[in-house]
Amino acid sequence: MEEQTAQEISQYLTFTINDESYALNVSNVKEVQEFTSLTKVPRMPDFMRGIINLRGSVVPVIDLKIKFGMGSTEKDIDTSIIVTEVKMDDETVTMGLLTDSVKEVIELSETEIEPTPYIGTKIDTAFIKGMGKKDDNFLIVLDIDKVLTVNEISMVSAQEKAESPE
Amino acid sequence: MKTILIVDDSRTVRESLKFFLTEGGYQVIEGCDGQDALKVIEGKTCDLVITDVNMPNMDGLTLIGELRQKKEFKFTPILVLTTESQQNIMDKGKELGATGWIVKPFDNDKVMAVIKKVIGE
Amino acid sequence: MMNQFKETFKEEAYELLGNLEDLLMELEDNPDNPDSISAVFRAIHTIKGSASMFDFEGIASFTHVVESVLDGVREGSVKVSKELIDLTLISRDHILAMLNAESDSTPEFEAESADIISRMKILTGEEAEDSASSGTKASETEKEEEAVEKTFRIQFKPDENLFLSGTNPLLLLNELEEMGEYACICHNESIPDFEVFNPEVCYVSWDIYLTTKKTINEVKDVFIFLDSRSEIDVSVISDWQNVLSSDESRKLGEILIDKGLIQASQLEDILNSRKKIGELLVEQGIVQESDVKSALEEQKISNSIKQNLNTGSAATIRVQSAKLDSLVDTVGELVTAQARLNQLALQAKSSSLMSLAEQIERLTADLRDNTMSLRMVPIGTTFSRFKRLVRDLSSSLDKNIQLITKGGDTELDKNVIEKLNDPLVHVIRNSIDHGIESSESRREKGKDEMGTITLDAHYTGANVQLQIRDDGQGLNKEAILKKAVEREIVSPDAQLSDEEIYNLIFMPGFSTAQSVTSVSGRGVGMDVVRKQIDALNGSIHIKSEEGVGTEFSFHLPFTLAIIEGLLVRINDEKYVFPLSMVQACMELTREERTSHGKKRLVEYRESVIPYIRLREIFTEESDLPDREHLVIIQTETSITGFVVDEVIGDHQTVIKNMGKLYKDIHYITGATILGDGSVALILDVNRISALAKVEEAGE
Repeated sequence: MEEQTAQEISQYLTFTINDESYALNVSNVKEVQEFTSLTKVPRMPDFMRGIINLRGSVVPVIDLKIKFGMGSTEKDIDTSIIVTEVKMDDETVTMGLLTDSVKEVIELSETEIEPTPYIGTKIDTAFIKGMGKKDDNFLIVLDIDKVLTVNEISMVSAQEKAESPE
Repeated sequence: MKTILIVDDSRTVRESLKFFLTEGGYQVIEGCDGQDALKVIEGKTCDLVITDVNMPNMDGLTLIGELRQKKEFKFTPILVLTTESQQNIMDKGKELGATGWIVKPFDNDKVMAVIKKVIGE
Repeated sequence: MMNQFKETFKEEAYELLGNLEDLLMELEDNPDNPDSISAVFRAIHTIKGSASMFDFEGIASFTHVVESVLDGVREGSVKVSKELIDLTLISRDHILAMLNAESDSTPEFEAESADIISRMKILTGEEAEDSASSGTKASETEKEEEAVEKTFRIQFKPDENLFLSGTNPLLLLNELEEMGEYACICHNESIPDFEVFNPEVCYVSWDIYLTTKKTINEVKDVFIFLDSRSEIDVSVISDWQNVLSSDESRKLGEILIDKGLIQASQLEDILNSRKKIGELLVEQGIVQESDVKSALEEQKISNSIKQNLNTGSAATIRVQSAKLDSLVDTVGELVTAQARLNQLALQAKSSSLMSLAEQIERLTADLRDNTMSLRMVPIGTTFSRFKRLVRDLSSSLDKNIQLITKGGDTELDKNVIEKLNDPLVHVIRNSIDHGIESSESRREKGKDEMGTITLDAHYTGANVQLQIRDDGQGLNKEAILKKAVEREIVSPDAQLSDEEIYNLIFMPGFSTAQSVTSVSGRGVGMDVVRKQIDALNGSIHIKSEEGVGTEFSFHLPFTLAIIEGLLVRINDEKYVFPLSMVQACMELTREERTSHGKKRLVEYRESVIPYIRLREIFTEESDLPDREHLVIIQTETSITGFVVDEVIGDHQTVIKNMGKLYKDIHYITGATILGDGSVALILDVNRISALAKVEEAGE
């Protein structure tokens, strides 16, 4: 019985974007970084904010606020980058998510995550796994693998190819 | 023409050396011991002195010392005639200001090679 | 010639032996009189010296022993005794007998000599040293040494009183010069001002480099007359052993340390600054200018020796390539960490930390270069397998094709070469299958029946260019276009340049082969080639002429890991140009911005070149800065200026892959981490200039 419960309960990292709370399964999270500096890569879509140096590796950073069409993230004291590992075409890609603030790690069981309601959020539901609730607050649980679709990346590529004469 | 002073009590040595040197185009003056040599070169200079060590009256080493005191011979090359077993003589000669040595027995080639080394062609 | 002196010798010897008898009697009476001892010794000594000169060998070798016994008397180690006097008298008679005889070397004389000598030895109680014969032996062994050419370094620092011994050092140098190939550096820094100059003092010293077949002893013998007051150091700086065991050419600093002129720590200090080490050492008064000149001469010699040995001596070891790769990765991390260290040292304003950081920078750069060179492999190693490919494929297609390879010694990173194999196979297969015609067809066209494929590798700036040329039928533009339209790759009304049409063959699923053959034409191939070359940060260009042939050229970077870069700034962002492509940097003045109207042209070295304003390409929206700078770059096609806000300087650029998200961004080849931890982008200048052309055309 206990084993059963253990399997069903997962840990989630919660964070905020525009005062809305989001949650991400910690199995996707490598670490959380303070947002210091970022290098812009020219001619890329706005939500691809740029790249950072993560202990010698170059990691792209996605601004979820722009991606979700809710403005863009301004740097302040709480601004953080959640470094995640995302599956993309059978490859694991390390990617940073820019968020307004990172809150805490909570435990949610599968049963505490409700299917996505059709109201209350402005974002596309494809990358929402469901809604969770913690201490009377609603959380949007993200399916990180779907935040950035393969399509979008090839769209980026296509745009680039169109510009390139070759 | 360069002048070479030969100092040796052995007539054989003097004459054979003189033969080699005059053949080689040098002018030779002789002394049969140290004292004689000093007399012979009085008021003269030469380009090279070749001296034996063991001589009566004044030995070669003393002669070197005397010559070096003279301003005309301060920088004149001086070769000591010696044998291989006389390393101590070579050292003493160097100390007193000898330039080098010719090891007995010598032949024409050896003498010429050493002379070339100290006064050139 | 010597015979004429034999009589003189004999006369003198009789005289001496006559005196000797008296002298010995006198000595017996006054055994402690040093004058008597000396006179006896001198008589024997003179006979010995002259005897050996005039071929009286029996007398010479016998008197040598007698002389050494008498020398013992002079030194006090042998006592004057009746036995000694007796034996010396016997010796004297024996010498006289030999002198009178026809020959002094008969067996009878030798036996008698041996008998007297053995009695003398019993008397002195010691083995008389046979120095003459041992000396001969030594010189014989010397001559047996094989005459191998060696280079000697001779450091000759005469005693300052050298002239007072009548020695002319220049004659010694002449002697050395006659021995072989000779280079001489004179140290004359110690010569004082004229007022205090003493002409009797030898102020100069020399370093001589002599390459000769003479032995080290023969070289040392030049200085045989000099005593220990003069410093003479002769050492072999080259022999096979040394040269083969050192991979690197010798550095100036190492030579100076080796010669004891500087301390290793002094060298390190010097290395921290970027000037020429020699100049600095002189400036700081650690060594004299001539020391540096001398060391440079030595360096020259050792380099030339190395060049002479360039064949047949490559001692190698095999290393797993994974180990090399991990070494390169580690070095990359080190380079980055080192940049960070520099930054911190600058901030800390600590000179000792700075000097340490600079030292580490130097070491890191060396380590980087050495490490990268480990992975460099001549491309020719892969060429041979293509010969086989061409041979097998052409015979299976019943074609007559030869493969010519050029530039096989062009070096590329091993990892690049490995990844080149597949694309090369594809392109060569294509040429064999579609490019080169059948023998009949070639004959009909009046071409050589034998088709030729040429693989040509060479360096172009920061890149290696690899060309695959065939003398086949060339690409058929109409056929390509028709197929592309059929496959809906382009629209039927598209207006394409020749190169654009050729590039269509790189589109996925494109194949122009009329029939699918076993060799190629399966519709996979050229698009794969394009992808593989892209993955190497390279590019492909096609030239073709119908009926004449086709040329594919791959432009490839040397390495995928670390390059020298030029760091620049545009607004707040930093970018890196590959330094090897940079020809010059200059300011772009306000006047120059407008001197050619709206056209982006600028004068450079008596010609007019186009320039590209990177902030426009990168859509930076802020106002133009007052001052802009031009980085002049040699691109594939032309010389182009790239306008940036500021040129920051050289940067050792560890290329970081930007990952999957950015894999299609062609104008950036990667990113690199700067000393302050921020990231700069590495520019692909060829792609950017192509991009600029397209955008200009679009305006």
